[in-house]
Amino acid sequence: MSFPGHRFALSLFVGIVVLWLGVMLVVMRHSSLPPDATGTMLVVFDPGMDEDAAFASITSAGARPIRKTAFGFIWVVNGTAGELMSQGALGAYRELPLPAEIAGCVGVVDRALARALPL
Amino acid sequence: MTSTISRPLPWYFAPMIVLITGCVVAMINRGIGASFGLFTLPISEANAWPRETYSLAIALQNLLWGIATPFAGMLADRFGAARVVMLGAVFYCLGMIAMASTSVPVLFHLSAGVLVGVGIAFSSFGIIMAALGRIVPPDRRSWAFGLATAAASLGQFVFAPLVAALISGYGWHFTLLFLAGTTLLMIPFALPLMVSNASSSKAGAGETTLSMTEAITQAFGHRSYMLLVAGFFVCGFQLAFITVHLPPYLAEHGISKEFAGIAMGAIGLFNAVGSYLAGVIGGRGEKRVPLSLIYLLRSISVTAFILLPITPVTTIIFTATMGFLWLSTVPLTMGIVMVMFGTRYMATLYGFVFLSHQIGSFLGVWLGGRLYDVYGSYDPVWWMGVGLGVFAAIVNLPIVEKRAPKFAAA
Repeated sequence: MSFPGHRFALSLFVGIVVLWLGVMLVVMRHSSLPPDATGTMLVVFDPGMDEDAAFASITSAGARPIRKTAFGFIWVVNGTAGELMSQGALGAYRELPLPAEIAGCVGVVDRALARALPL
Repeated sequence: MTSTISRPLPWYFAPMIVLITGCVVAMINRGIGASFGLFTLPISEANAWPRETYSLAIALQNLLWGIATPFAGMLADRFGAARVVMLGAVFYCLGMIAMASTSVPVLFHLSAGVLVGVGIAFSSFGIIMAALGRIVPPDRRSWAFGLATAAASLGQFVFAPLVAALISGYGWHFTLLFLAGTTLLMIPFALPLMVSNASSSKAGAGETTLSMTEAITQAFGHRSYMLLVAGFFVCGFQLAFITVHLPPYLAEHGISKEFAGIAMGAIGLFNAVGSYLAGVIGGRGEKRVPLSLIYLLRSISVTAFILLPITPVTTIIFTATMGFLWLSTVPLTMGIVMVMFGTRYMATLYGFVFLSHQIGSFLGVWLGGRLYDVYGSYDPVWWMGVGLGVFAAIVNLPIVEKRAPKFAAA
């Protein structure tokens, strides 16, 4: 019985990541807010777009920038999804911060922590 | 005269298929388990609950995961890992459906906490690794453990953004039900593990003839096993403390919430690489030395981090380093359990080691918050983690990596 090695492991993980990217693409396309949605939302521009260009697009769409994220092409804004899309946004999503426990295996009941990390 | 006709095994029992499907089960189990934090806000808002209600359910879930793991291991060693994983998938699914269907806190705690916790334990990567240990030849076992642990780590990394996008687009209720359905995928993916489904009522070649109760009693009287249990407690303590208390610590030092998120993501990514490499290294010689080194490197890394100024650069270096050392203890710990006790009661005996990890996790989270309230600083717990890391490095060194006397081949 022959057993696979590092190449197998690498192929498996590359396969998983490629599959994940494909699924993410489909999900992101389908989970975008409808054009008439208004309010606070996460707006995603082309990943190549710089911060200033993204800011200009947001203001051109009549939206109010609330804050930029760690990526210059993703902003939290208050506006209308359709207007933002017409100004070049790839998608607009309900804002949902990732949890701090992304890599963890624990749960927490901690009021002090909840106060320190408002969602 | 009787003759035996040996039939070739079905294609889904091929080693490569078993490895792939085992990794997929580990990925689904941990991926979904790690994404529960994303539901905190939407479920709490929908039910008008304080956040503590949801958090208590998740804390219960983690506690049950730890407590149920030895029992899941006993069942896996007795009836085969595949059946236990399948049962776990059903618990996991039912628990998530119930989570989505109730607005009563007690029922939510029973579903999200107890039912899902037991489901996670029954289908966890510890059970998968025990099954792989029986399938894979001895010289490849450590590698296979590294692969399964890396798959579980990768699951955490890939599921979180996917679940976030699903909640954003379709709402938390649909997403929970969708994930409940996804857990059932573990059933067909566990089927190839049937290849190692031999009942432990009969001892395999080279395995101990002790009963399960005798095996557990003997293991708890074995010095090296107890040292391993003590070391793994530290692993849980350190990781849980960092997972929960690093983001507010970073916020206190002026690191933005977004950058803290990226830094935590780096842990997930480097975790997969570190876990795999630990499995590879463990297969090349004694496991106790790299295991000891991991704990020592964690302590050095934490010491450097808290003594140096906290900047984005030091933060990302720290989280990448810790990510690399994160679950890399798992394949080595599992490997040592197998070396000492063989494969017959592996899931059970690893289950008890993991219980110690979860107790450490609980204390890491709780003491982190408690001592912060007392001293107004995380420093005492950081230093406690450093000290415990050195302790774990020391206690792992005297572990004797050979078959325990009563577990020697009959």
